[in-house]
Amino acid sequence: MTATISTTSVIPTRRRRRSARLSPLLVAFVLVPFTVESIWVFWPALQGFWFSLTRWDGMSPPTFVGTDNYVELAGDATFRGALVNTVIWLVLFGGLSVLGGFGMALVLQKERRWVGFYRAALFTPVVFSLVVTALVWRVFYQPDGIADTLLRAVGLEHLIRPWLADPQTALYAVILPALWRQIGYVMVLFLAGLKAIDPALHEAARMDGANAWQRLRHVTIPQLKGVNAVVLSVIVIDSLRSFDIVWSLTKGGPYHSSELLSTYMYSTAFQSLRLGYASAIAVVIFVLALAVILGYLVRAFREEA
Amino acid sequence: MGALGASSFLSACASSASGPTTSNGSGAVTIQSNLSSPQAKAAMEKLIETFNAQGKGTASLNTIASETFRTQLPTYLTSANPPDLYTWYAGSVANDYASKNLLLDVSDVWKSLGDYPQSLRTLSTDASGKQIFVPMNNYWWGFFYRKSNFAKWGVQEPKTWTDFLALCETLKSKGIPPIGIGLGDTPWVASAWFDYLNIRINGAPFHRELLAGQQRFDDARVKAVFTRWREALPYFDPKGKAYPFQEATTALLAGKTGMFLIGTFFADAAPKDALGDLDFFRFPIIDPAVPLAEEAPTDGFFASAKTANPTGTRALLSYLSGVEAQEAYVKASSGIVLPANPRAKASDSPLVVKGKAMLNEAKELTQFFNRDSSDALQPTADTALTKFIDKPDQIDAILREWQAGAEKVFKG
Repeated sequence: MTATISTTSVIPTRRRRRSARLSPLLVAFVLVPFTVESIWVFWPALQGFWFSLTRWDGMSPPTFVGTDNYVELAGDATFRGALVNTVIWLVLFGGLSVLGGFGMALVLQKERRWVGFYRAALFTPVVFSLVVTALVWRVFYQPDGIADTLLRAVGLEHLIRPWLADPQTALYAVILPALWRQIGYVMVLFLAGLKAIDPALHEAARMDGANAWQRLRHVTIPQLKGVNAVVLSVIVIDSLRSFDIVWSLTKGGPYHSSELLSTYMYSTAFQSLRLGYASAIAVVIFVLALAVILGYLVRAFREEA
Repeated sequence: MGALGASSFLSACASSASGPTTSNGSGAVTIQSNLSSPQAKAAMEKLIETFNAQGKGTASLNTIASETFRTQLPTYLTSANPPDLYTWYAGSVANDYASKNLLLDVSDVWKSLGDYPQSLRTLSTDASGKQIFVPMNNYWWGFFYRKSNFAKWGVQEPKTWTDFLALCETLKSKGIPPIGIGLGDTPWVASAWFDYLNIRINGAPFHRELLAGQQRFDDARVKAVFTRWREALPYFDPKGKAYPFQEATTALLAGKTGMFLIGTFFADAAPKDALGDLDFFRFPIIDPAVPLAEEAPTDGFFASAKTANPTGTRALLSYLSGVEAQEAYVKASSGIVLPANPRAKASDSPLVVKGKAMLNEAKELTQFFNRDSSDALQPTADTALTKFIDKPDQIDAILREWQAGAEKVFKG
């Protein structure tokens, strides 16, 4: 008995000693990507922080201005509007894509006839480039386009307006195509999560007399905890980096009414050529993303502990 | 991640100061061209081919999508090993780069351009008095309409602002939206209205000073521009807010709008058979005491100060400004353009003859909002002007915001 124990414990220690020497291959696998990351991601990111403290037009050398850019941000009405729009975007785009994606996943999780077709159909928008998506939706929204024709057909022509050119509707008219795409993506994430739930749990719950709602509330949702973290990170990141669809549909206009932080950052950097100020906006976006995701992770870890 | 990616994107710009290598020493001269429309691109390719065949040097053409070109131009110019020659605009845009010592002195090339009009020479000269730009061609803006439609509606070209408003009223009573515009995706088209009203009411010198930051946008004289504009606002096609100028062109050609204030480039999107039916009139005179000015944006070339092959670059510029190259370009590109070289023959279509006569009559030429100021100032105008078209009552607040936005741009 003792002998067996000692032999089994000897082998792992030997193995551990061997791995402590670190194979050069392993070192290479870690160091090469790390070096590449450092040059292309970490260093530029740090540079971004530095630029946010400067005034820079991209041509002359940057001049250090301290926190001037952040002070200006605090009093910038366009920035405030973009911040509010980004929050609206986060809530509507994020919230609805989770609800829609989860709902679709529930409906389509059971293997039935045609279910593969429906799943593929919902996932198709994800495959298209967002710029192509924007082109299609532009046709949908154009004056006398499909949206207007549909409204006329059901007798709602008084609602017709220049959807993308009306400051009241522009932001929502852009959220819709973004959602159209995101729901399919979130659905796939949830489908994967649902597949991973042990059917025995549902079986047991059914035996105990739980109805469909109770099974959803007390079995399915708690089991999806791991997927939820992924979905949350994905939608927060996707919301904050939403740029292409807005830029191709409205460029943040008319007069900043559909401006997001990302589009404002881009136009400040590459149209107004105020790269220092734009970097300050980028830093704000970074802090926002970090705050939301860290907030969730901290909570998740606390629950687990 | 979003911000991380974004800021790395920003600084990618900075680090590329030592970035792209497109030129190869004293060999071929590289041209970065934003002329990406099929006809213009083909025309440029043909010019370069002819130049290479002449044996005075070799050149290679890089055609780049115009939006990419616009955002990358500062990066090209500041990189350590920049492309040699660039298509771009004359005026304050070029002068800005010249003031940062980024442009090659091309006074040598201008020595052989003695017969070019003084207006083009002045336009191509920077603050220190040397030439930094070689014009290729220019074009004009005007109110375009279909002759057949004007005949059908029984209306004539107006000369004065009063005539113009009367014409609008007549068209409106016939159920035609009189003034077409395309602001969706191309909001800068509205700047033509601002430019023209300002040069008609306050004159070209005031306009240039305003755009250079020496006058204020909340000035009473600027407000007067909008008071006039407001008289015409009820006649604008309400759908024009939602579609780009290309679709506004289609609407004009289909007789869904009466007339359209636009530059001649709009004809690129017009079918060939409609071209013969097009005519235009100059922006109506408002105050006869103000010297007549017209918008005539000038396109051409400038070269990088850091070019490894200044001799080859200048040789290519001399060729491009010559009669042969300019005529070949005008012939091959479909656009209605006037060659910069006074000896080069423009197309002899009645439209081009009329356009050329209009520009010759003008005492002053302006370039266009962004070319007389900067691409950085353009978005402030887009915001102010589209907002004014929607909410003319808020003009005082709009002008205050415009001034504040412009100050930020001028400050950098």
